[in-house]
Amino acid sequence: MNRARQFGTLIGLVGLCFVLWILTPYFLTVSNLLNVAEQTSINAIVAVGMTFVILSGGIDLSVGSIVALAGVVLGLALHDDRSLGVALTLTLGAGAACGIVNGILVSLGGLPPFIVTLGTMSIVRGAALLVTEGRPISGFASSFRVLATGRAGFIPAPVIATATVYLIASLVLTRTTFGRYVYAIGGNEEATRLSGVAVRFHKTMIYGVSGVMSAIAAVILTARLNSAQPIAGMMYELDAIAATVIGGTSLMGGEGTLAGTLVGALIMGVLRNGLNLLGVSSFLQQIVIGGVIVVAVLLDTVLKRKHRG
Amino acid sequence: MGNVILALILLAALPALSCNRGNSLPGAGGKPTIALVLKTLNHPFFVDMRRGAQEAADRLGVTLQVQAAEREIDVEKQMQIVENLIQTGIQALAITPSGSREIVSALVKARDAKVPIVVVDTRLDPKAAADAGVRGETFVGSDNYEGGRLAGEFLVKATGGNAHVGVLEGIPGHETGDSRLRGFRDAVKSSPGVTIVASQPANWERDQGFNVFQNMLQAHPDIDSVFACSDLMALGALEAISAAHRTGTIKVVGFDALDDAKKAIAAGTMEASVAQFPAEMGRVAVESAVKVLHGEKLPPDINVKLELVTKDTVK
Repeated sequence: MNRARQFGTLIGLVGLCFVLWILTPYFLTVSNLLNVAEQTSINAIVAVGMTFVILSGGIDLSVGSIVALAGVVLGLALHDDRSLGVALTLTLGAGAACGIVNGILVSLGGLPPFIVTLGTMSIVRGAALLVTEGRPISGFASSFRVLATGRAGFIPAPVIATATVYLIASLVLTRTTFGRYVYAIGGNEEATRLSGVAVRFHKTMIYGVSGVMSAIAAVILTARLNSAQPIAGMMYELDAIAATVIGGTSLMGGEGTLAGTLVGALIMGVLRNGLNLLGVSSFLQQIVIGGVIVVAVLLDTVLKRKHRG
Repeated sequence: MGNVILALILLAALPALSCNRGNSLPGAGGKPTIALVLKTLNHPFFVDMRRGAQEAADRLGVTLQVQAAEREIDVEKQMQIVENLIQTGIQALAITPSGSREIVSALVKARDAKVPIVVVDTRLDPKAAADAGVRGETFVGSDNYEGGRLAGEFLVKATGGNAHVGVLEGIPGHETGDSRLRGFRDAVKSSPGVTIVASQPANWERDQGFNVFQNMLQAHPDIDSVFACSDLMALGALEAISAAHRTGTIKVVGFDALDDAKKAIAAGTMEASVAQFPAEMGRVAVESAVKVLHGEKLPPDINVKLELVTKDTVK
């Protein structure tokens, strides 16, 4: 059943591409498709973490703020003349730390994830603004910027990073006990706990994964803009949730795949790109994107009902 | 896992299907296409700018493509728009940068695609632009420093050289707001009776102008005048003043001369606002882009006039 739904999303993406191919000659060119892939990478990576969290029955509203804080940590470290390795370690560490704090509050504190991450969304954003006094940190060496501007052959570095993240994350999700537990916790947390799984520990780690993904996205964003902005990443949580849900992951947890999320992120990226190419007014764009989210989820729900008979 | 691989393979196959139809098609109908990328379209300032630009484009017989991010501060979205527009083969790009430094990365791509750039309203950061080797053909905009100075001189006069000023700043690091602020500070520096008792960013927004000024008023009840780096923030401050029942006791000077601000000036609740002429900016931006397409050389700066609107001059 899962497979059928995923193909549904993929068919949606291909259909969207087909429509754009008819409507504009600029859409289906190599350079534009690479352009879309590059633009989608940041949301796609944040959405990996979001998928882990939603699969486990939670939600993470703090991802955008973590992108900002991790970016700021990265910017400060680089301006402090740390080596790239040290700076990246600090950045991923900051992301992981934020995520683990979310996880501890959810699992040990027993608080609803919506409330916890709503709180940390504000706290983490405030911290990013406080550290930088609201100002962006900008101007980095090209040895760092290559993480966004570099190309392997003709493929942009962010696209390679995204593919790597998805391959590793789906290995973790489908081939490790941790991955199984993510689904199990989302499917039935109580039953999982009773069968001897350390649910609290694993939930904490799940939010940690989300934090790390936000930090990876922050690296790409900072390299792309050549600037770490404390106001970066606003509303990223909504884009990531949209990609996850369009991709067929159930907000109730326990059901969904990373392939679906990738396709969901690409649908949003292709749509934004296509609407730009067509010169659609930015107000109309918001309506269309919102409409697609609703229709995608509606289709998904209808299909699901049919399959269940 | 298998699904991820399948999706990746399918996506990798997509470019193979493409047939580069784009190369055979220049601008629609043979008319050159000029893109105007704004910070946002939910601000009257940019709506006016679009109007002026559209009128000029119609008159000069060029196609104008106007795009903007949903939110003014979203420079990454603005960068995506620029990248996408380059794909459509635009002949020239006029842009109001959402971030003076950040947008340079997008403009590098425009330069590589040989699309000439006209910078409008907000300057590029000179160092970031020079480092990246990006150069605008010209800068079309108000002299914001001069505007800030006008506001400062007016406030000194209006208060008889005795004032406790609260300042509402724009988003920190924005060249536009920083220049206005510098102009204002320089203008009041020489008046020892005028002191800036508080200066805080309200990020160009009306509701933040309200909140920040309400807080300022709590901390400094002696504030008797306000300089807001934009009218939206000034209007927010006016509402905070009215909520504190202090209407008429605090002199408010804003920037932009929005319609709502002009009404407030006519009603006497606000003192003055520095008028910019965004429609004029839009017009000059398009005209400059067309000149560049005709191979004309442009001066590095084209200043669009500024005017102080007060009760005596408000229309």
